Amino acid sequence: MTATTPPPGDTGLDAVVSRRRFLALAGGVAGAAALGASLGPRAWESLFGGASDPAGALGSPGGPRLVLVTLYGGNDGLNTVVPYADPHYAPARGVLALEPSAVLPLADGFGLHPSMPGMKKLWDAKQLGIVHGVGFADPNYSHFESMDIWQSGVPGTPVSTGWIGRWLDLTAASPLNAVGIGPTNTVALTGAKVQGVAVPAGPIVLPGRSDEQLLYEVLARTTRSEALLLAAAARSNTDLITMKRQLGGVLDATSTGNPLHLEAGTAATAESSLAIADGGGGLASPGVLATQLSIVANLILAGSPSEVYSVELGGFDTHAHQEPTQHTLLAELDTALSAFVDALGASPRGRHTVALVYTEFGRRVGGNASGGSDHGWANVAFVAGPSVNGGFYGQPPDLSRLSEGNAAYTTDYRSLYATAFDRVLGVDPSSFLDGSFPTLPFV
Amino acid sequence: MPDPAADAIPLPTLTRPPAPHASLIRDPAAMKALNKTLATEHEQLVTWWLARMVATSHPLAEKLTFLLHGHFPTAISKVRFPLYLYRQNQIFRTQGSGDFDALTQQIATDPAMLIWLDAASNRASNPNENFARELMERFTLGVGNYTEADVRAGAYCFTGWRVDGETDAFTIDQGEHSTTPQTFLGTRGVTTGQQVIDLVTHSEASSRFVPAAFWSHLAYPVTTSDPVVIELSTGYAANRTMSSLLRAIFEHPMFTSSHTATGLIKQPTEYVVGALRALGFTATDVGNARVPFASTLVAMGQSLFDPPSVGGWSANQYWLSTAAALARWKFAGRLAAVADLSPIADVPPTSRVDAAAALLSVPTWSSTTAAALHDASSDPRELVTLALVSPDYVSN
Repeated sequence: MTATTPPPGDTGLDAVVSRRRFLALAGGVAGAAALGASLGPRAWESLFGGASDPAGALGSPGGPRLVLVTLYGGNDGLNTVVPYADPHYAPARGVLALEPSAVLPLADGFGLHPSMPGMKKLWDAKQLGIVHGVGFADPNYSHFESMDIWQSGVPGTPVSTGWIGRWLDLTAASPLNAVGIGPTNTVALTGAKVQGVAVPAGPIVLPGRSDEQLLYEVLARTTRSEALLLAAAARSNTDLITMKRQLGGVLDATSTGNPLHLEAGTAATAESSLAIADGGGGLASPGVLATQLSIVANLILAGSPSEVYSVELGGFDTHAHQEPTQHTLLAELDTALSAFVDALGASPRGRHTVALVYTEFGRRVGGNASGGSDHGWANVAFVAGPSVNGGFYGQPPDLSRLSEGNAAYTTDYRSLYATAFDRVLGVDPSSFLDGSFPTLPFV
Repeated sequence: MPDPAADAIPLPTLTRPPAPHASLIRDPAAMKALNKTLATEHEQLVTWWLARMVATSHPLAEKLTFLLHGHFPTAISKVRFPLYLYRQNQIFRTQGSGDFDALTQQIATDPAMLIWLDAASNRASNPNENFARELMERFTLGVGNYTEADVRAGAYCFTGWRVDGETDAFTIDQGEHSTTPQTFLGTRGVTTGQQVIDLVTHSEASSRFVPAAFWSHLAYPVTTSDPVVIELSTGYAANRTMSSLLRAIFEHPMFTSSHTATGLIKQPTEYVVGALRALGFTATDVGNARVPFASTLVAMGQSLFDPPSVGGWSANQYWLSTAAALARWKFAGRLAAVADLSPIADVPPTSRVDAAAALLSVPTWSSTTAAALHDASSDPRELVTLALVSPDYVSN
């Protein structure tokens, strides 16, 4: 096993890859062969332990970083970025409509939900971009299918890889180049042969004596003859050792730090607070997102080479009694994200970080009689960071021309991804997306 | 089915919700105290269930209860009161192996689900669609087997469904129940939620959806068009009874194939409980500091009674994270350090790798694993630790 030589048959992978090719890679013989290419721990050490990075697989300190912030459940975008001056807004929303005097005014008749003063400050500092009308052509009202469409980057036929996962497969080939925070894997970071690592809260202490750890490494090696799932299980063990060796020092040293400078009680540090972050159902604990973003900030500010990070907050499925729930969740997003951008902006290492905030779908424009809203279509997305070009992008949906009660999409969600590939990760988007999508000048 | 060992596990005291008009809501200190009590009760209820799983002489009943928790997920994060999660858990345990229509009716009219999917605030004037949609998408039919018009029609039929504030009993607020006849899944004149559930659970799509769901939980992931599912659906459609479906799954030739042997990654609960049972731990060990099961489950991403969403927990690659690998390794090391390993230690080193396979019910070790285990065979503790984190044990 060597670090840089692709296995036989994989030499065409850096060429433009079609969706058909992605599908072929996702399973069967090609997938099994690809899994066999997993690197041994020694190889990682030589690849990333020193100053050189022969494969160019990882980022340099201070380079561009992409942070995905996934809001599970379908956040109500019309009450997040509120078109308060639109004469159709209040009549269409009914009891859900926010008072114009309550929102935090931005520009063009839009204002932020009252719980978002931190994001308002980012807007004033031109560090917040808002993309209007984001979605995809055929609305899908299932949380799971819509989120799959978002995370895979492929509408229509389900695929098992994520949009960042395919980038890991084809350009980085290192599990360290995408870091999820929390206990389980996220589809966005799943490739056919590389899975982004998942970082737990707190120091990473490997159990056992050193000779046991060596045996664990033997156990972690994959062989090509094994079933796919066995190989993937072995790979998670290999990747754990890689993660410990490359990120462990930073994670251990910073596990008690407070990079976002949040007051005590805001950023929970308990492992348990991470576990409930990925929900679509209930309310997450206060501080869940801040805890995750603190870990990301620690890694970026320490100069870690990982280029993509993923954090999440759940509980946005507000079919009933929406306002108090959404208020709590948006306040959590606001506090955590604005402190994160401030912390990164204060260091040369963080300055080129771009956070992308998205959710699986918007909500029905008209509220229901439970004081909530049902599953809808188009939504807003946020981009935030010290060096983003603040302002509005895309066309706001026309609230006087709803489709089945829903705001129609105007911006294909893959424009966000094309922009991230092109302007943050510096790769050709067409290698990872099925089609060509206009980039947006938010960065 | 009597299960004296499991039934001997004492149930924690579980708080009833205060009356809706209680002054608690305006008293932040009392609210905080209540939330603390509920968090403690949640921990105790998790311990209670895990102890049952370890103690039971009917593992299949507890496993089915666990799988049904994933199929009809409701979470403490929204339901708030562990008492309601316990009530639902008992429905899974006592009625889970019976008629799937009756089970769905029972779960739908029980407080946990009424709260979780907002039926309890559903009103005739403009219904919310939460329960009607998830009932069809997640519990009975699957996407593609209903229309948006069916979602809206179904939502009307569930309006007025309530939990009685005094008794926790299911009631229908007639003033909030729509009596407008709906056309639902092609049937005209539907007005009640019970009719809606009856129609979805007896539909042809459901006779494929339910077998596909449980085959995917027990063998390997399949879609509703898989030949195995088509075969199972005929038998299932005849009586829609879970015990018959499980028997048909276990007796299917593909269930004993190599596909099944490496078809699933154990869910964290299955992993932890399986290891505890295999290594001879008892219910009294659960909850005792020697066995760190609760922190392990959280670190592996599975908090019982608190699934992440109405989709329950995902499968396979979802669990194969580096964070979970670390939690497994720590747990395995701890278990092996405190377990009675005489079944391994009492046989000669050359037989210990096979003894570990027998102890952990692993049919055969893959060559990579066998090589590593042989190197550790002089030290039973090390051998068992490695066996527990091997891909062979982590998968089914």
